[in-house]
Amino acid sequence: MIIFVFDNTFEGLLTAVYEAYYTNARPDRIVTEVYHQPNLVDAVKFIETDEVKSNKVYDAIVKKVSKEALRHVYHAFLSETVDAPTIIYRYLTIAFKMGQQVDHLLTNKHILEIHKISKKVTREKHRMLGLVRFQLIKEDLYYASIEPDHHIVGLLAPHFAKRMADQNWIIHDKKRDTAAIFDKSQWFIAPLQYKNEITNNNEEALYQELWKTYFKNIAIKERKNSKLQRSFMPTRYWKHLTEKS
Amino acid sequence: MEIKDKLKILADAAKYDVSCSSSGSSRKNKADGIGNAAISGICHSWSDDGRCISLLKILLTNYCIYNCAYCINRASNDLPRAAFTPNEVAELTINFYRRNYIEGLFLSSAIMINPDHTMEQLLNTVKILRTEHNFNGYIHVKAIPGADSRLIHETGLYVDRMSVNIELPSNGGLKLLAPQKKKEEIIKPMSLITKQHQQSKEERRAFKSSPAFAPAGQSTQLIVGATQDHDFQILKLSEGLYNRFQLKRVYYSAYVPVGVHPNLPVLANPPTLREHRLYQADWLLRFYGFSADELLNERQPNFDVQLDPKCDWALNNFSLFPIEINKAEYHMLLRVPGIGVQSARRIIAARRLAPISYDGLKKIGVVLKRAKYFITCQGKYYSEVGLKDHLIRESLTVKPILSPSNQNEKQLSFFDVYKLKESIITGEL
Ligand code: SF4
Repeated sequence: MIIFVFDNTFEGLLTAVYEAYYTNARPDRIVTEVYHQPNLVDAVKFIETDEVKSNKVYDAIVKKVSKEALRHVYHAFLSETVDAPTIIYRYLTIAFKMGQQVDHLLTNKHILEIHKISKKVTREKHRMLGLVRFQLIKEDLYYASIEPDHHIVGLLAPHFAKRMADQNWIIHDKKRDTAAIFDKSQWFIAPLQYKNEITNNNEEALYQELWKTYFKNIAIKERKNSKLQRSFMPTRYWKHLTEKS
Repeated sequence: MEIKDKLKILADAAKYDVSCSSSGSSRKNKADGIGNAAISGICHSWSDDGRCISLLKILLTNYCIYNCAYCINRASNDLPRAAFTPNEVAELTINFYRRNYIEGLFLSSAIMINPDHTMEQLLNTVKILRTEHNFNGYIHVKAIPGADSRLIHETGLYVDRMSVNIELPSNGGLKLLAPQKKKEEIIKPMSLITKQHQQSKEERRAFKSSPAFAPAGQSTQLIVGATQDHDFQILKLSEGLYNRFQLKRVYYSAYVPVGVHPNLPVLANPPTLREHRLYQADWLLRFYGFSADELLNERQPNFDVQLDPKCDWALNNFSLFPIEINKAEYHMLLRVPGIGVQSARRIIAARRLAPISYDGLKKIGVVLKRAKYFITCQGKYYSEVGLKDHLIRESLTVKPILSPSNQNEKQLSFFDVYKLKESIITGEL
């Protein structure tokens, strides 16, 4: 098997796609260095991330296929699943042949595969838009911690930049030691390692208490249904939810 | 009384209200403001009963001068009462919002002192939120029947959605159970909201800066099973509300027995399955091009609770089927049980490229378990029972899960009903 290994950046992935296009030895798989496990049988090529090449692929997706295709590709990449890069590669091979129409090819296995993982990421993003919980940790700074399955913090930030536009906030992905930080005008992504427990001031404690009160009293007790609740709001998210922790 | 105790009482009093949707508005944040609305709505949590929490759903007060028989807040009922001030509600909303607990506020109220006083308090609350807190998140307020139209009008300028509860499906029902409420008093604010909403839409087309009036439109809610009304009457009513008042949603709420009253039916359980069938039929009205008269009639005025309305319709009109998936027109595809709006669109898109196989239908998301009886795919018919409508009816009938305590009580468990509801929300009927 021929395997392309890249550096786990989106640009790296697009470079790999570029290289795959202009080589005779087409890869059977593309993996990130994070998941790559060397063995004796496979022929491995390490891809050097190249901005010019990756930009070319990026533009080609937008121009020759569609913005929608780019979104699928990017979201699939953010899924951080082992097979995502290979699935993206197979999808793009078809997409460059088919053009705009590709996402209508709903009976094709490869198209369905990428739709499936990109949808997972989109869904988690949408769910997390609701589940992020800010705490007022000091005057005029709101902090939220999350541990999502996929690398979505950059997808969340634009939403909160518009919505919570008059407050400083940090959304901290504790799993990836990364945070989106907003200073009332711009947001940016930065590495963040912050392990301390947060102690709440009186005001914060009051509103957390009130939210828990509300949460408890809005439920119809005779219709308790934990199974349904968990299917919408899986327990792995509870640690960071005020009403559930 | 402490704010926490008020919240306990007034959240509890609002919990049976079914509408919690925060969709339909795309209000933008303003400079130095907080909040915006998401057009498709966002759920922020799910309560212990599995329902989505999107808005802070509370009553301003549960003190009531009226005595509607079906309502827990009726004046003659002995229960703890509380009232928020407009400022308290505004503070709660803004602080919950800043922590991303909620999408906004859904404020309703019992009638304290008189309708005008109550409406004034509601108006003050939303005014404080919009003007003092510069809040641009979602607000849904109930208009109080009988209140001055000027108050209702002004409120509409601050909110995203306004609704008036129609309460009961018929005038007779109102007379019997809520004698202090008049049909005219309910219809009046409804038509006012419709008129203002349309007028402001037109004005905004010409002048972008003219104020929006309840841009997410209006909805209403009615109670099912507290009166003798048939499904046919209820559905006709909804159809009328959608057509005449351009309502966004009609919510149906299975009557929860709250007390004994000579005019109230005695029910062991809320009629949730019936409520569910009405939601399905309502969906057929709004998105599938059906009319109430096609689904029910004087001879069959109630839905078969064991069969979903679309299957029922298809079997009653079996001569129209089977249809060929690769040829049928969109509106006919929509009428096939197991094909939803999304899959119908996908079928149209996919078959332009290549004929669709039976296997391909599954990938597209068609529920073949139901659809197979009504379609052919590249000329082939796949049902194992053949084209026999009585056999098909049998296979499509829901085998009710009998509750172990009472074997005669045909009821789906709540889990199933809510799961079914989800499938309505995604629209694959
Ligand atoms: S007016 Fe509303 S709150 Fe008061 S008793 Fe009637 S339904 Fe209940």
